[in-house]
Amino acid sequence: MNSQYPPVPSGKKWFKELVAKITLVVLGRGLAAAANRDPDIRREVSKWPNGFSLMMNIKPGGPRMTVEKVGGRLKYRGAKPDDATLIINFKNVDAAFMQFTAQIGTTRAFAEHRYTVAGDLGYAMSFVRCMDVLMGHLFPGPVNKHLLKRLPPMPLKKQLIRLYIYTIGIPLGR
Amino acid sequence: MLPSYYEFHNPVKVVSGKKALENIPYELEQLGVKRPIVVTDKGVVEAGLLKIVLGAFDSSGLTMGALFDETPPDSDVAICNKIAALYRENECDCIIAVGGGSPIDTAKGAGIVLAENAEDLMLYMGAERLTKPIPPLIVVPTTSGTGSEVTYAAVIADRKKGIKMAFTSYLMLPRVAVLDPRMTLTLPAKITAATGMDALTHACEAYYCLQKNPISDAHAMGAIKLISENLLTAVKDPKNEQARMAMANAALLAGAAFSNSMCGMVHSLGHAAGGVCHVPHGLAMSIFLPFGMEYNIDKTGDVIGELLLPLGGADEYAKTPAAQRPYRAVELIRKLRQDLYDACGLPQTLKDAGVPREKLDEIAQAAINDGAHAFNPEEMDLGDATRMLQAAYE
Repeated sequence: MNSQYPPVPSGKKWFKELVAKITLVVLGRGLAAAANRDPDIRREVSKWPNGFSLMMNIKPGGPRMTVEKVGGRLKYRGAKPDDATLIINFKNVDAAFMQFTAQIGTTRAFAEHRYTVAGDLGYAMSFVRCMDVLMGHLFPGPVNKHLLKRLPPMPLKKQLIRLYIYTIGIPLGR
Repeated sequence: MLPSYYEFHNPVKVVSGKKALENIPYELEQLGVKRPIVVTDKGVVEAGLLKIVLGAFDSSGLTMGALFDETPPDSDVAICNKIAALYRENECDCIIAVGGGSPIDTAKGAGIVLAENAEDLMLYMGAERLTKPIPPLIVVPTTSGTGSEVTYAAVIADRKKGIKMAFTSYLMLPRVAVLDPRMTLTLPAKITAATGMDALTHACEAYYCLQKNPISDAHAMGAIKLISENLLTAVKDPKNEQARMAMANAALLAGAAFSNSMCGMVHSLGHAAGGVCHVPHGLAMSIFLPFGMEYNIDKTGDVIGELLLPLGGADEYAKTPAAQRPYRAVELIRKLRQDLYDACGLPQTLKDAGVPREKLDEIAQAAINDGAHAFNPEEMDLGDATRMLQAAYE
């Protein structure tokens, strides 16, 4: 090895990786909880076949999370599965970080090629609709104004679902 | 305004103009291949176009490894497998697709089977499933609309299962697109009109939808100008080589534009109308385009207004107040549709296209599951899609 010109290893974005890892858990548990409570997400998930799995992965080697439809319900499977029916691959941790910190919405991230979709595009559209509804629950209106094409109405019933997602769904994974 | 980030990818070499076909042997040499399989359909053969393509190889010393002219409309999985087997059996090393969307997409499908050594094409359905590039693909389009010669997508039917499958991957892009005036001279008026409106829709949606960028904008503007100046001429005067070449180039430009900036709700509605009621794609685009543009004016009217320049020319653009430009652009597209109807009878409503009214709900449901409208500036839910279909019905 040439000691005058040694190899230069890449660094590590600890903070962004940590935020991404936590957000993936929040999104996975939040989506699973919302799918069993929110009628809009439930309608979408009802069209997915049993055994259908969805992974959000950050290239090159994770972190990632998977949700799977089992017995008609969406379950959070964590980071263990390494394949899925539909895979959302963020090209790098910065791309995921931007979306996870509400700097850009799901649609804009897609339009900017921040992630690629591997799998059936019909299901990918269904997933994007689910994410838009979930964003409506996770973020307040003024933030969502920048993330979504159209703000979803938040009647009392939806507010209660939001409360459930934050107090039970995400902390307890139910 | 520049997007905060964009990507543009189009490595396809374009060979366009008089005697362009005669350059194919040279292009094969450049690609390091010499034994093509030619994929086409009976329509191309009967129109005498294949004879012209094969004639371009005279004195080249090359041998066609195989000739497959049985591509059905809408392509087919079984046919892709058959072509792949023929390719291997006859020791071919590249593919030449001659035709409209079907032979081109079939060639791409066969390419997937060959690249992945696939038993079942279905495994590669959807986006970004390929891991290896398809064999070198040279495309000779015989219609001016799909832009498939520069796109990384293919739609292939599985007749046994009664479904249409979409495949997208950058690894599926053709290497060379050959535009020769002789290839579109015999295209019937109504197909010229419908495919031309398809190209116009690619360009318009590429220009005002969410993934627009400066490079796709330039392609889209160029395409719209060529179409607005030449489509009617190509329909009324089919042997006009200049108009035909302008349309071939417009379709390619529009294809490169929308392949990178994607399209919007007009395509979602069109794909759905095609899937549910078999409305030809170009015809569906012609019917929905003005409605789709109008629908987006609230969100992106200033951008749609810019389309007035290539659609109506500098004088028209200059004399129209800025606030009126998007509406005038839509008016000009409606006028073009009327002119095409007068010239060749291209239908302007879903009813005239043979769609039963009771199918509208089914089309609306299919439309919102279609990927294209993710990039539409305005949201479209099931109710919106249904209202749009009702407006376009009669």
